[in-house]
Amino acid sequence: MFTVRVKEVIRYGRNIATVKFSSRFRSYPGQFIMLSHFEHEEVPLSLSSPDGVTVKAVGETTRALVNVREGDILGVRGPFGNPFSPSKNALIIAGGIGIAPMLFLYNSLRGFGASVRVIYGAKSKDEMVFHDRFENAVFLTEDGSYGAQGTVIDGVKRENLDRYEKIYVCGPEGMMSELLEVFERKSVLEKSEFSLERYMRCGIGVCGSCVIDNGLRVCADGPIFKGSELF
Amino acid sequence: MSEALRVRVAGIEMRNPLMLASGIMGSFSSSLNRLSEHAGAVVTKSVGLAPVEGYRNPAVINYSHGLINAVGLASPGAEAFSEELRGYAFYSPLIVSLFASTPEEFADLTTHFEFADGFELNLSCPHAKNVGLSVGSDPELVKEVVRVTKRATDKPVFAKISPNVRDIVEIGKAAEDGGADGVVAINTLKGMKIDIFAKRPILSNISGGVSGEGIKPVAVKCVWDLYEELSIPIIGSGGVTSWKDVIEFMLAGAMAVQLGSALFYSNRIFYSLKESLIAYTRMTGERLEDIVGMAHRT
Repeated sequence: MFTVRVKEVIRYGRNIATVKFSSRFRSYPGQFIMLSHFEHEEVPLSLSSPDGVTVKAVGETTRALVNVREGDILGVRGPFGNPFSPSKNALIIAGGIGIAPMLFLYNSLRGFGASVRVIYGAKSKDEMVFHDRFENAVFLTEDGSYGAQGTVIDGVKRENLDRYEKIYVCGPEGMMSELLEVFERKSVLEKSEFSLERYMRCGIGVCGSCVIDNGLRVCADGPIFKGSELF
Repeated sequence: MSEALRVRVAGIEMRNPLMLASGIMGSFSSSLNRLSEHAGAVVTKSVGLAPVEGYRNPAVINYSHGLINAVGLASPGAEAFSEELRGYAFYSPLIVSLFASTPEEFADLTTHFEFADGFELNLSCPHAKNVGLSVGSDPELVKEVVRVTKRATDKPVFAKISPNVRDIVEIGKAAEDGGADGVVAINTLKGMKIDIFAKRPILSNISGGVSGEGIKPVAVKCVWDLYEELSIPIIGSGGVTSWKDVIEFMLAGAMAVQLGSALFYSNRIFYSLKESLIAYTRMTGERLEDIVGMAHRT
């Protein structure tokens, strides 16, 4: 473990914040860190940039992380896990706080000169972050408070998936399992990549807390899996 | 499959001497199934009668020569865990690791896992209260635990013991006197790490158990000493990472070895070590079973 200082906190409403660190990590989009708040626990979080995470308060530790102040010290292990693989013509699909690793991916793909389309859905406008950061994007909210009314699935169904070289997905478990079905029907499982989330202890492939149904470990064999590995 | 790798430990036939150590990827049938395709046998995560939540994160950290963990025997409890293990496909033998604080509880635990090929008694976890090492540092209690557990099951019973005792051979002897079919040496060593910037211990439990390459020389010495005094099989454990480590442990007297922290490097490690051991036996013309304890000749 090493320590970093909090350089900047960007808040989006009460429950979501981007925490920027004093140092950049040598990292790739899709990788995660184990972030310790010393008064609370250590939690796995995807990087939303090489020097930051975007966290939503869902429990005690994530609440404390949303409320950190500039200058605070946090503990870091990582970055861990396998990243997304690059492509020249990409579709990014994100639901809710699943957008966090996708901003990092988007910026990195655009940096390579790739063309990237984004489908991003959330419950309502208050839960949307980064919607001003994407050029070619479809936004959906369940209550219609921003973009079209509907879910990510509705947005995906209207899209011609054959056009893309790679499809990247991150979001709630229910959304991802529904997309696996959609991708299977449209024969695009092989070019899809999903970012999975599980409760983790070690983050480095030994404890076995994050094993999924196929016997692979989210922390060390993932967190990015091909759709064909999950279906 | 190479015949030269086969070993037989207390009646359990293994296609190679590489076992999965307890506490590593052993909480779910799915991961056990995947690893058991190439392992000689697998040992589950330790289970007790009641569910245990374990310690808060950080519970596992890596340092430059291995890992330090204080997971705290997190487990869903015997009933739920035996349900989970129903999904085990038995590509290789299944050994269920048990923890408890009294001989009677250990005996009771075996009845939940009639389908197991053997049991490993956790007498050595250094970071749980009233179980593990608390039981395993008292020779009289160790003997009694093994004796009572052996009466409750006809499956082989192994005692996993700790180096953090006055004399590990004394504990090994006690297990043998109680009727153990083998001993597993060693569990993790007590240790801790302090973050020098935050100025506090990193693990939520303050201290934990050290495993990985850093403890290998300690483990080899324990196996060596136990081999000199015991007549039951010894299973070596502690920092096994390469095929050379496997050979070293076997020369010291281990009939089989357990791998844990090395899974950090690859979940295909059983396959790669197995292939390397095949190459080794081809080169030397030996069967692995025949080199056990060979370094002791003087």
